[in-house]
Parts: sequence; structure tokens; C-alpha cells
Amino acid sequence: MEKSLLMYEACAGTAAIRQLRMLGEKLSGRRVVHVNSTREGGGVAEILSWMVPLMRDLGLDASWEVIRGAGDFYSVTKSIHNGLQGFPVNISQKGWATYHAVNRANAEALRPTLEDADIVVIHDPQPAALLQLCGGRRGKWVWRAHIDISHPYLPVWKTLRTIVKGYDASIFSMPQFALPLPHPQYLVAPSIDPLSEKNRDLPPEELDAVRAGFGLDPSRPLLVQVSRFDRFKDPIGVIEAYRLVKKVQPVQLVLAGGGATDDPEGEEVLREVMDAAAGDPDIHVLLLPPDAHRTINALQRVADVVIQKSLREGFGLTVTEGLWKGKPVIGGDTGGIRRQVVDYHTGFLVNTPEGAAHRIRFLLYHREKMRSMGEKAREFVRENFLLTRHLREYLILFHSILSGSSEPRIYV
Amino acid sequence: MTPFVVMDCVLLTRMSGLPEAASLRELRERVAVCGENVLYHHFYETLLRPSFDYPDYHNDFAVWAKLHLADPVLAERFGVLDPYAFSSMEELRGVMLDIIDERLTTLTVVPAVSRGSEFYFFEADTVVFDTGDRICSPADLAPAVARMTTGSVFFHFIEAHRRDPVGMDDFSAWLLHFGEETSACREALRTIDFAFLTLSELRSEICERLAAQCL
Repeated sequence: MEKSLLMYEACAGTAAIRQLRMLGEKLSGRRVVHVNSTREGGGVAEILSWMVPLMRDLGLDASWEVIRGAGDFYSVTKSIHNGLQGFPVNISQKGWATYHAVNRANAEALRPTLEDADIVVIHDPQPAALLQLCGGRRGKWVWRAHIDISHPYLPVWKTLRTIVKGYDASIFSMPQFALPLPHPQYLVAPSIDPLSEKNRDLPPEELDAVRAGFGLDPSRPLLVQVSRFDRFKDPIGVIEAYRLVKKVQPVQLVLAGGGATDDPEGEEVLREVMDAAAGDPDIHVLLLPPDAHRTINALQRVADVVIQKSLREGFGLTVTEGLWKGKPVIGGDTGGIRRQVVDYHTGFLVNTPEGAAHRIRFLLYHREKMRSMGEKAREFVRENFLLTRHLREYLILFHSILSGSSEPRIYV
Repeated sequence: MTPFVVMDCVLLTRMSGLPEAASLRELRERVAVCGENVLYHHFYETLLRPSFDYPDYHNDFAVWAKLHLADPVLAERFGVLDPYAFSSMEELRGVMLDIIDERLTTLTVVPAVSRGSEFYFFEADTVVFDTGDRICSPADLAPAVARMTTGSVFFHFIEAHRRDPVGMDDFSAWLLHFGEETSACREALRTIDFAFLTLSELRSEICERLAAQCL
């Protein structure tokens, strides 16, 4: 079933939906084309799968195009992706030629649609070269970078910059992710879909079943961290914190992450975590399949405290998910977690296992405070990090670039 | 009588193009040259931005000084600045620079932050639009405010102080047309100290005060 704004009114509020309708009304009929490199899998496809239908619901003539390429193209774009994130990669001239050839082939098919659009949003580097191949474009083109490119491997950025500098604007998730470009750089934070499998309300019996399925004791407090097994997520530090808490409270810990991976470091970290947890029946290390969204959802809901003790983090959507479920979050004092976790209001920022243990004990002792912080956390996400805010910011951007005004204030 | 036209506004933040500041001295250098829109954003528009509603201070400079620069003295001095008390952005900029200069002369070490805690200079694009809603009589004002978005509350109650008539919110300016019978109401609105309220709280406060005056 295609998503509609009406479905979100109960979660986001009537005023927010009405505001979107008014902003959309004034863009009615505008042709907006999103382009990325995959229809399924990954965060970008997930965003477009709700954003395009909701833009249509608002009256925009929105569509979603996917470029097609062969295996060698995706090898090159994976290298570009890694290079933009700072890994030294060698992309040969032949590799760049493949990149341009695939963009050229896609431009042949997409040119009429793209050149006729009022706004084209190109997601990530894979289709970025389409801009140069659509010389007859009449609309505004925006490059949306979903990843952190602030410390790129310079040879890769040097080449890609020549491509993306021609756009009318770009969008980054956080200021820390951006690099200077000769056009306006907008900031649009990620968001969660409150009706997705990962975030929707679940019936109590389903929560009980998940609790029973993993052998969790409902009578004792539960700490949950959901994240892949990566050193930057500090799962060993979480176990240390749990052990410090356990000296005074009979707690249980769940560390839930992705399943088998081709990331050799991931496997190594998982082994270290298993070793650290060995012999303690109250530490549950769960390897879940990539589509275990409802299970993750249930685990976050049955948790007393959600932890995201990252040492480095992007935005940290698992924090947003925990807050949305009415849980205070103990989060690492880094990246986008700082935007979401506010001491004594939505959780606590911590820097060490000792700090995490201290705050967990505080919350488990002050149950009423924990409950009120959880309520505030949910409202905080409702106001700031649901997809309705995300959609609103795209609409503002469209108004802004279509106005052609350099004034900061646009009357529509 | 002309009906009250309910407007709404929403904003989107963008990078200003200035490099981030990692120390108090760098903050001073950037504040001295940044555009007025940048200062405007960090002082006036913070309430409209997706962010936590209960910071200790309502301008970004004070929040940064407290949380990242770990200079509570500077945070308090920035925090007390009331942007609506200045006749121009240049005047506000001058006062800010004086505060920083004074602080720099008293400190033996220039405070700096670690990587990841720099101050980023933003500005915003704001879209203002007519909601189509109209308020025809003072008695309809309170229920109408209760239905307003926080963007409308910001536009009509906070930002209005910078428009003509300067120093007055739009509701009071409209109520003026109804003469003496609305004077208690206008006084009730005038005495709201909105510096310590979130936009949702401000909306409730306005409604309560209007209701208390039987409007």
C-alpha cells in the first residue's frame, strides 16, 4: 500500500501535516525527480520509498529513477564511496571511464525526464555525473550526500568535486559531514519512519514472545544496545559498564547486531564480544538477520535503558529509535548522538564504561525520573526527527531554490 | 475591521561558508566578519530549528561557550544578551565582540575545543506563507492561537518584535484597533517573558493570558 500523509497524522500531529499540505500546495504540479542507484536495500532506498509517495500525496509530480550498471560499475562506485569516507583507494583511469560510461548510458534513457524536471535530486556519488550529461536541463539540480565526506581520500574527492561543484545546491546530514563547495550547502538530518516495522507500536503479546524467545527475565532490568559489531560502537565497553552495574543491580544485557558479514573486522569484534560475554548467562549476544526489524523494535521496547555507547558515530539513528520508544538513552559523547541525548532530559552522554555504569544505575534507581525522561525523549523525536520534518525540509529547499532569491526570507 | 491574517514560517539551515571555530580567538575572528544573517540565525532563529527545546541558553554562542568551550563566565555573558534589545545586528555584533575581547584579556590561556566540538556558523532560508486562516474578532483569538503551529507563534509573537511597530507582537498590534477594551489583554501579552519558554509553552501561555482577560 502506497504511503499517505493521513497515515502519519496520529504520530506527527495535525498541525505538522497541515503545514506540509500548505507547503506542498504551493509546489503543486512541480516535477521532482529523485535519482539513486538501487531500488531496494540501504538507507537511501528506504528514504525514497516513503518520500516519493508522500511528495505525490502533497501534489508534487514526484518520481524516482534508478540508474543501472554492471558489476564493474558498482566496484568503482564502492571504491568512490570508501574513498569519500577517507579510505585510501586506487581508482584507475579505466575505473573512472567505467563510471562515466555508465552515467552516459543512463543519461541517454533518462535525459528527457531529467531535463524537463523542475528539480532533480541526485543521491550520493553513483549518478552524480548525470548533471554534466543533461546540458538542456531547465530545472535546479541538488546533490544529496548521505555519507560523511569531511575527511576524504583526496584523489577521489578531487575528481568527484569537479562533478558536484556544478550543482545548484547540496544537502548534508550534519555540518561535520560537509566539505566546502561553491553553492549553498543545506543541512537535513536523517529521520525515522514511525510506521515502519522497526518503529511501529507492537502488541504486548509480541513483546512477551520476543522476551521469552531470547530467555530474558521480565522481572529484572534489561539494558539493550543495537548496533553492528564494530569497535567504534564499543560493545566491549558496554559489557564493562554492565558488569559494573551488576555489582549492585541484577541486570541483563542484550547486544544485538547484524548477522554474518563479509567484514573481517566485524567477525573479529564479534569473537571478542563472545569471549568477553562467555560464562555469563545474562549477557545475550544476538546475531540477527538484516530483516529482523520487528525483533529489533521489540528488543528496544522491552529494554529499561537503551545504550549506544559509540566512540565515533554518524547521526546515530539507533538512538532516535530508542528515544521514540520512550527510553532514555545512554549515548557516547560523539557525533549526532550529541544532538539527541541531553543530560537529565532525554538520557545521558558518557565517555567511559564507568560513566555509562554510573548513569545506568542512576536511571534504574530513579524510576520515576527514568519514566519522565522517556516521555520527553519520545516528544523530542516527534518534534524533530520523524520523517515529516525531513519532508518539510525538502519542501523548504524546493521553495528556496525555485524562488531564485538570494534573500534568506521567501514569501510564498 | 481588518481580520488578522495568520501566517506560518519554516526554516532550513545551511552552512554559511565560514570555517568553523575551534577556539575563542577563532570565534572572535568569525563573528567580526560573518554576515548579519549568520548572527540573526544564531540569536533569533534557534527556537525554530529542529533541536532540543530546553537548553540553558537560547543563543548558540552561549550554549557553545558552556558545553564545549567550558567557559561558564562567557556563557553567562552571552546568555543574558537579549537580541530584541538591540536596534541593529551591527550593534549586537559590537557587544559580542566587546564581551569576547574583555574575556580574552582576562584569560591566561585562550580556551579551545577538541575536534568534533567546533562552532559551526549557519544561516537559514525561511519560507513564510499565508495559512489561509483569518481571525475576525478578539474573542476568536485564543482558540485560533491554540490551533496555530509553533512557526505561526514564532512569526506573530517573537519575530514580530523586529517589525513595525517595533517591540510589539502582531496580536497586540491587531488588538490595538479594538481600542481600550483590549488594553488589559495587550498588557497581559506584553509581560510574557518568552526568553524562557519553548514555542509550545509560549502558545499555551498566550492562550491562558487571553482567556484570563475573557478574550
